Amino acid sequence: MNDSLYLLLATAVMFGVTYTLRGFSFMAFGNGRKTPEAILYVGRVISPAVIAVMIVYCLKGTSFHAPLYGGAEAAAIGVCILLHRLFHNPLLSIATSTAVYMVMVQNWGSLP
Amino acid sequence: MRFTRKCLWASFQASLPVLLGYLAMGFAAGVLLTSRTGLGCLWGFLTSATSISGALQFILVDLFCNQTPLFTVALVTLSLNLRYAVYGLPLLERWKGLPLPLKLYMILTLTDETFALEVANQVPEGEDSLTYCFQIAALDHLYWIMGVVSGCAAGAVLPFNSKGIDFAMTALFIVILQDQMKVRLNRLPALLGGVSGLIGLALYPQNMLIPAIAILLTALFALRHSLEEATHE
Repeated sequence: MNDSLYLLLATAVMFGVTYTLRGFSFMAFGNGRKTPEAILYVGRVISPAVIAVMIVYCLKGTSFHAPLYGGAEAAAIGVCILLHRLFHNPLLSIATSTAVYMVMVQNWGSLP
Repeated sequence: MRFTRKCLWASFQASLPVLLGYLAMGFAAGVLLTSRTGLGCLWGFLTSATSISGALQFILVDLFCNQTPLFTVALVTLSLNLRYAVYGLPLLERWKGLPLPLKLYMILTLTDETFALEVANQVPEGEDSLTYCFQIAALDHLYWIMGVVSGCAAGAVLPFNSKGIDFAMTALFIVILQDQMKVRLNRLPALLGGVSGLIGLALYPQNMLIPAIAILLTALFALRHSLEEATHE
């Protein structure tokens, strides 16, 4: 198969599947159709739950068997939570904790 | 829809953490794409603009390299992004008044981070919430494209050591969750999410999201009675 044609088709497939998934709940339950109670319930509770899943997902690469044994993650998360508690400024908490993390993994982390 | 300078500024401020996260993640994905496949900014733009999806943007480098069959591409995309199928639910009612073209665009841009900001909906007093959310969606979309395309342009040569910069993404989710935990009712669902995530990770380290979300939905329905009672207290 032609190279660019393949790339174009693959890009279209990824777009089609992703878009359909994102639009799924609107297609299935939109247009004035009465939304089932169970769906509304999931809608109310799913957001904090999925965010928690995403945090686990983000941290899944943490290595406990090589330096820093998860120390960089623990320190950066601690800094993030503490700063956000004190100042309620998302950007400050995120930038500072990311800087802490970068300094730690670049200077004391194991080589990739 | 009502566009004001104050509302645009509020959307921009809310989207700043996503700016950091998307530029960093997108940049890394762009560098990877160009250095491994030799494809330039055009392909970075096409892929990032159409499926705004972090994990997929990294995986597609492998898929492109191997000329993976399109059916497999579809299956990988489906399993990576299945969680999006429930993201519309909290927004169904609120988006009812949106004109169709805008609604279609906001479906396109419904990423994890944009979803979180739209659900949080920290719109300033007196401003239009749909305008606020639309602006966040468009800004996040733009950040992601900028990140990926600039990564492609930078190619394999990095001007500085950016190792670890993707922690910005983790920090963003932590901050969002921390704010949500102030609402008592969010605490049990968040705990269930965390536990489901860990179980999913233990079961399928390479693809934890589908088992994690399946377990999560099961748990949410199993505990529906007590969670709904808490709502009515």
